[in-house]
Amino acid sequence: MNRRKFLTMAAAAAAAAPLAACGSSKSSGATGAKADDNAPVELSISVWSLASTPEFQALFDAFHQANPNITIKPVDILSNDYETKLTTMLAAGDTTDVITVKNVIDYAGYAGRGQLKDLTSAATSADAAQLSGLASFKEKDGKYYALPYRQDFWVLYYNKKLFDAAGKQYPTNLTWDQYADLAKSLTSGSGQGKVYGTYHHTWRSVVQAISAAQTGGDLLGGDYGFFADQYAMALGVQNAGATIDFGTATTQKTGYASVFEDKQAAMLPMGTWFIAKLLADKKAGKTDVDWAIAPMPQRPGGSGITTFGSPTAFAVNKKARHSEAAEKFVKFAAGPEGAKAIAAIGVVPALLTDQTRQTYFGLAGMPADDTSKKAFKPDKVTLEMPVSDKTSKIDKILTEEHQLVMTKQKSIDAGIKEMGSRVKDETS
Amino acid sequence: MADLTTAQAAGASPPGDGMSAATAARVGRRALADPAATRRRVRARRRRDTLIGWSFILPNFLGFVAITLIPVVAAFALAFTNWDSYNTPDWVGLKNFRRLLHDESTKIALRNTVYYAVGHVPLTLLASLSLAILLNRKIRGAAFFRAAAFFPYITSMVAVALVWNMLFNPASGPVNQFLQWFGVAHGPGWTTSTDWAMPAVIITSAWRDMGYYMILFLAGLQSIPKEQYEAAEMDGATAWQRFRTVTLPGLRPTTFLVLVLLTVQSFKIFDLIVVMTQGGPGRATTVLSQRIYQTGIVDGEFGYASAISVLLFLLVLVLTLTQFWLNKRRERS
Repeated sequence: MNRRKFLTMAAAAAAAAPLAACGSSKSSGATGAKADDNAPVELSISVWSLASTPEFQALFDAFHQANPNITIKPVDILSNDYETKLTTMLAAGDTTDVITVKNVIDYAGYAGRGQLKDLTSAATSADAAQLSGLASFKEKDGKYYALPYRQDFWVLYYNKKLFDAAGKQYPTNLTWDQYADLAKSLTSGSGQGKVYGTYHHTWRSVVQAISAAQTGGDLLGGDYGFFADQYAMALGVQNAGATIDFGTATTQKTGYASVFEDKQAAMLPMGTWFIAKLLADKKAGKTDVDWAIAPMPQRPGGSGITTFGSPTAFAVNKKARHSEAAEKFVKFAAGPEGAKAIAAIGVVPALLTDQTRQTYFGLAGMPADDTSKKAFKPDKVTLEMPVSDKTSKIDKILTEEHQLVMTKQKSIDAGIKEMGSRVKDETS
Repeated sequence: MADLTTAQAAGASPPGDGMSAATAARVGRRALADPAATRRRVRARRRRDTLIGWSFILPNFLGFVAITLIPVVAAFALAFTNWDSYNTPDWVGLKNFRRLLHDESTKIALRNTVYYAVGHVPLTLLASLSLAILLNRKIRGAAFFRAAAFFPYITSMVAVALVWNMLFNPASGPVNQFLQWFGVAHGPGWTTSTDWAMPAVIITSAWRDMGYYMILFLAGLQSIPKEQYEAAEMDGATAWQRFRTVTLPGLRPTTFLVLVLLTVQSFKIFDLIVVMTQGGPGRATTVLSQRIYQTGIVDGEFGYASAISVLLFLLVLVLTLTQFWLNKRRERS
């Protein structure tokens, strides 16, 4: 073989190498077989940030213990990229068995495109009847394509020490007016050492979802007059300097967790997912904040406690390689064993029975007072954002206009009017 | 480029013409035996050389085709369909483009993109040219200052956006405190204000990009012959006259390159805005590429997103062609 011939062949081989690699990976991925009951199965599950989301590992361990023949292979995706990555994966015909549904907006997309397996029979069984948040997964055709395993809802966190220092009673059953006054009176100091009475995070739900829940307003409806009172309250608190200004919080990318854990705010309306973080951070010595929870403040004259929440669910990929095992996992996670496993690490299960509540409040570091327990048993939890094929667009519009109202680029009335007209124009 | 290749190929085709003496001699010896066979052999060798050449660019070219070219071509086709990324696309003709005409959010995004380009291109051009002229002199520590000016460009975009966001903080940010010294009691709200968010983004991006274009200008400046400056000085030209009659014309090819690069870059701005303002407040800084992302990836309307991409592509194409045309015309005159 002369030199030139050798070079030609080498170049050709080099050029062909990536092709060969593509080919081989494809052929190894094409083995799909239906498993009988006890054959070993490797179940793949898409999750986000596995290392910092301990609930996944807890569920996987519990499931593997109950079904020793099924090993779980997590497909770990960076939390911020999860929705994008999953959309692309499913579009490309990925065969990951179980899809974790991070929020209902994405769920509407996957289900609408027919990418998920029909789970209606499991969802309408007697076992599933107690699952909170299940209704959010009912599609227009009456079918269900996911089962919630976790349901977070909003409560009012407060810092006991800051209440003691100000000589105030711990909150129990506040109205929004009482809450606003309390926030103002708890504010003290200035500059770096300033303590805010409360902290309203920059999410639109802090104002919009709670007012929809408590007034019965429809977030997809196009008539947003019911936001007015809540915006007036939120802007009042902000103008009084009782929360970090919206603009400042946006520009500095303020984290709600650090504000509360560093004792910069006496109160914080936030979802129950924050409990697991508080417990973990206290255990790790990152904070020593002395906290408890109370029910969300209510509108005057309302009866019972109404708050909003958002479920997290598992769904089965329509193209799953192990469809049966996948469904088994989804049911397990939504069932009592799954609930027990995640309640044990401070995550609120969708199956919130007295038994799981007991497990939950038995955790080291949980506040044990009656108000906290009452906060954990709201009378009504509405969905943070209803599911529809227009949800993502409306979400975007409401977020944009929320920013304008909170940064006072627009008055409350003008903002609400603009939300309505944009929703009508852009989603028809 | 294409002309050149053709010329070379044409020059090489009559045996002996375009070849080195040694090759010609070798071919010549064989040619005595059978001219037809020689021509075949030459052709075969040329084909083999071409194949080897191709095989060298093949790995890169394959990647380009798979990751860039096919999606670009597909986007043109998808622009005429309704596609959710999963099911079979439906052909809808010009519907997506008609929808563009009435889509307020896309119009706002287009306006913002143009606003950004109109601010970013001249500002960066001016800043990078000034820096280059300043640092082209033999001053102490020129290398250090050049490196310092280049530094923002290699800094992570996320870090740049976060830090500038804090600098622009309306209440406690250094920018507004600085303005206070000049008697501006209430500085602008910058990224929290619909009027000032875009200027804030433009300033940040000009600061980040100027170092890169400064390097291009520095290279251009150093290619201008010193004699021209000397001659101009002998003729009694002032510094300003030297700049206008020697530096600027000498820099024309560089300026053209910078202008084209800056324009294209401005129209596809995405990352800085996403990290700095996420398009807010409201829609004040939403740009076209963000709109494409939102309609495609988030809302799942890939057909419509492709239509917006086509709009962006045509916009950049027309602008770049205009720039080329203007440059050519000026070159002739």
